[in-house]
Amino acid sequence: MTLKWATLFAGLVLAFAGSVVSIANAQQSQGPTTVVQLTGLAGVKDNAKGILSVGNGNLHFVHGKIGSDVSATSIEDVVTGNDSQEAVGKTIGMLSMAAPYGGGRFLSLFRTKIETLTIRYRDAEGGLHGAIFTMPAGKADGIKKELLASGAHTTARESSAAASTSASPFSQEERKQ
Amino acid sequence: MKRPLTSGIRLGTVALLFAACPLFAGKSEPTKIKARAIQVEMIQSDEVSLPAEFQVALYENLIHQLEKQGFQHVYRDGDRNAMRITDLVVLHSTVRRFKEGSERARQVTTISGATSITVHCQFSSPDGTSLLERDVNGKVWFFVGNLKATYDFAKKAARVAHENLSSPDHE
Repeated sequence: MTLKWATLFAGLVLAFAGSVVSIANAQQSQGPTTVVQLTGLAGVKDNAKGILSVGNGNLHFVHGKIGSDVSATSIEDVVTGNDSQEAVGKTIGMLSMAAPYGGGRFLSLFRTKIETLTIRYRDAEGGLHGAIFTMPAGKADGIKKELLASGAHTTARESSAAASTSASPFSQEERKQ
Repeated sequence: MKRPLTSGIRLGTVALLFAACPLFAGKSEPTKIKARAIQVEMIQSDEVSLPAEFQVALYENLIHQLEKQGFQHVYRDGDRNAMRITDLVVLHSTVRRFKEGSERARQVTTISGATSITVHCQFSSPDGTSLLERDVNGKVWFFVGNLKATYDFAKKAARVAHENLSSPDHE
């Protein structure tokens, strides 16, 4: 009788552990992510909202009908960082400033965490470009890992290993605000 | 009675114009640096720790603003096409001071949380001879993100370039 309960308990534990592992694996594989391209991609307007994904050795950004690809091998550096933005959105945030009794200021206390992904890449002529994306928290590291796996480079990892004191912001460790 | 008064006014006006001539002569426009094209190098921050997104935003905004100011050929850092250009001016920018503020503090208090950045801009010839040096700053005070300070800097730096460089194509 006791053996039966023990077997049942062990089975439940194993099933639970298996589900946790599968959830963790699902989180590791990064699908398309909704991002805002702040600046830098050729042919894409600043502050354009779109879908960012990594596939076929490219960083792919789609905004409406416009698509932009950056070859992962041309990326010299990828850096992630943390930031925050107003929880209510810019327009409502601005309008709420007119609210009485400091209601707008109170609203601006509520902010959501976001992440930034900054890349530096070269075009066919050797010209240096930079692009900045913002995205929901927890997404940037996955995209960075996929880019590195596709052939992109980063100096952040190298500098943390070498404890370098180089002045370039791209060679500093990942920034946490 | 009227006649002497009118001629007196005329004489006075002529005398004032004559006196003002040397003043205007002193304010003649300085000679502009000939630049057929400008190459923007990546922003350096040897003395100051600058987040990567600020460095990239400074660089990209600077290029956009120079193009807006009417420079027909603005080359990026490392662009091989720039090597063939005569009268090329290279813009080196080094961050001298950076204070990252807080958007939340700006929105709540209005008076605190400003982001400010000071960049030393050096316009030089391809062989490294300095042609012009200026400190340009960018600030953001109100209800926008901290990166807006980079836009403010870029606009001011592009204005400096516009005031001091002239393209032979336009002459």
